[in-house]
Amino acid sequence: MDKAGNSKKGPAGPTLFRQIATRLGAFTLLFALLDVGIVVVTYSSQPESLAQELLTLEAGKAEASTTLAPDLLVGPPGAEHWHASYIDPQTVAPAGSPSRPGVLMDWTRRERVPDGYRISGVRSVMQDGQQRWLFMRFEADSLRPYVPVIVEELVRHVLLPLIPLSLLLLLFNVFAVRRVLQPLRRAEAEVDALDPKNVLLRLSEAPEPREVNTLVRAVNRALTRLDETMAILRGFTANAAHELRTPLSIMQLSLDKLPPSPQRDDLQADTQHMTRLVGQMLDLAQADALAVEPDVLVDLADVGRNVVAAMAPKAFEAQRDLRFESIGDTRALGHAEAIYRIYRNLIDNALAHAPGETPIEVSAGPGPQLSVRDHGPGISDEDRPHIFERFWRKDRRRTDGAGLGLGIVQRLAQAHGGAITVENAPDGGALFRVTFAPPDPAR
Amino acid sequence: MRLLLVEDNARLASLIREGLDRQGFAVDWCETVDGAGHALKIGDYDLMLLDLGLPDGEGLDLVRMLRRRQDTMPILILTARGGLDDRVLGLDAGADDYLVKPFQIPELAARCRALLRRPGASLGTELSVGNIVLHSAERSVAVGGVSVDATPREVDLLECLLRRAGHVVAKPALESALYSMDAEVTPNALEACISRLRKRMTAAGADVQIRTIHGVGYALFAPAVIYG
Repeated sequence: MDKAGNSKKGPAGPTLFRQIATRLGAFTLLFALLDVGIVVVTYSSQPESLAQELLTLEAGKAEASTTLAPDLLVGPPGAEHWHASYIDPQTVAPAGSPSRPGVLMDWTRRERVPDGYRISGVRSVMQDGQQRWLFMRFEADSLRPYVPVIVEELVRHVLLPLIPLSLLLLLFNVFAVRRVLQPLRRAEAEVDALDPKNVLLRLSEAPEPREVNTLVRAVNRALTRLDETMAILRGFTANAAHELRTPLSIMQLSLDKLPPSPQRDDLQADTQHMTRLVGQMLDLAQADALAVEPDVLVDLADVGRNVVAAMAPKAFEAQRDLRFESIGDTRALGHAEAIYRIYRNLIDNALAHAPGETPIEVSAGPGPQLSVRDHGPGISDEDRPHIFERFWRKDRRRTDGAGLGLGIVQRLAQAHGGAITVENAPDGGALFRVTFAPPDPAR
Repeated sequence: MRLLLVEDNARLASLIREGLDRQGFAVDWCETVDGAGHALKIGDYDLMLLDLGLPDGEGLDLVRMLRRRQDTMPILILTARGGLDDRVLGLDAGADDYLVKPFQIPELAARCRALLRRPGASLGTELSVGNIVLHSAERSVAVGGVSVDATPREVDLLECLLRRAGHVVAKPALESALYSMDAEVTPNALEACISRLRKRMTAAGADVQIRTIHGVGYALFAPAVIYG
């Protein structure tokens, strides 16, 4: 009935309906028990009225069944010396009857006998529109014969009124609570739609109920604080990386002035590595903050050719072959510089992992996608979940990278509303593919 | 060649000045936007190297101001800002090139030289990489001092590649060089011509490499070149 408790993620707690039903059920039961207690106490203190009810109940049984001869009535449970018979008002009243012969009326008598009590009495019974008089008598030594009477009393005075009332209350409660919590459900949908990329998104405040309103306002305040922290963090990474560039330039140029020596070469290599790391950290901070304007058309093939042209000399120097191919329409919506960096990081990754003497194949298209494929060992299933993690490196002893390149690519692809996939090519090597939003055909 | 360097970090500025000095440039240095404006009034510079975040203002504002005054002096932005939009912003403001720190002196010098090769300005008549020398006025090529017979088309191609030695020259750029010579160029003409040029150079004992970058273009590499 209610799906509010079944959130989209993971198992949920009990639903609202169940919670209310359980509580209401427990409450009803408590009341019923209390009621039973009251009934039992009341009747125990008034054995006379209990005896009266008992005989009326037995007479009711005789009345309900016309074919039942009075001696077939079994009597209340636990009764001894049960006797029941119809009497003629014209004849002499049975022994012990307080009324005079010829005039009959309902009566009940309860008296003590040596081992218990005896109850006797007369009830007028209507059978086939004819009034008859039923005389009953029995003896007992416990409360057991009264059980049907008490049950009857409970059903009539406790269960019959309480059950419909409880059901109505339950329905009303569920309906009312669900109505009142409607704003909560909207807030839930809005929280689900929250996106770290869209930091300005807030929950809309419902004017009522006040409880929901205060919660929404508190969540919004928390979101504002989170945004501020995020902005400080992002800003810090970007600023730190930026500020490091000038001292790195100074280090690098100073090193170049030193006379050639193995120490100088080592220091130069370290500076290069540091430079690369700083560049990647800045790239990543920028990728995190990138918002792609969805209406800029970029030709992936043009960008790809530029990247390959820029990187080919470095690749050839390392005895590597870089090839480019464009297939079909290669236009996509995106940010040209960001796409340039996607290519560059993927090619850097391929250069780092594929063995020498094997070509690296870069391609654009068909459609809004690009791919970079190498002929290296490919990506093992074990590594696959980690390759996009920041600062993850397959071999931590290698110092030529920080493990940020693929993370940058993934982030840039996501900023385009695109995706990156990696697979192992059928004839070996890793194949990275990035897809973008296609150009709007209406334009 | 007089260059104006606008850079607020004194240590970096002195390193750049020293480095460019050794590459044959005369470099004047100032630290602020104001200082740069002043220097430009007094002196006559062929090129400005400009840092962006300066103590008294934004380097890009200086670029915009110069361009508004129809000043066409080449400007090379030298900055730590490597953001996704920074390069485009700089070039849109009117700068001619954009180099992100840190950089190496040979790379900076190469870019300065490229910017100083103004259209219409006299180009070097002798291009030389490795043991190849091409006299662009005489349209002649020599390898190791020995003259090589090459068709005019091959000389044209070689000139294109030599001018951008160490960099990839895109196919369309090379094709346009061919088309200007001969209107009847078949689609494979470029590949055929490159192939002949390569054979001829190898036969003559040239120590440079002409590499194919599939799908992009061609590049000529010197035996040992430092690539920026």
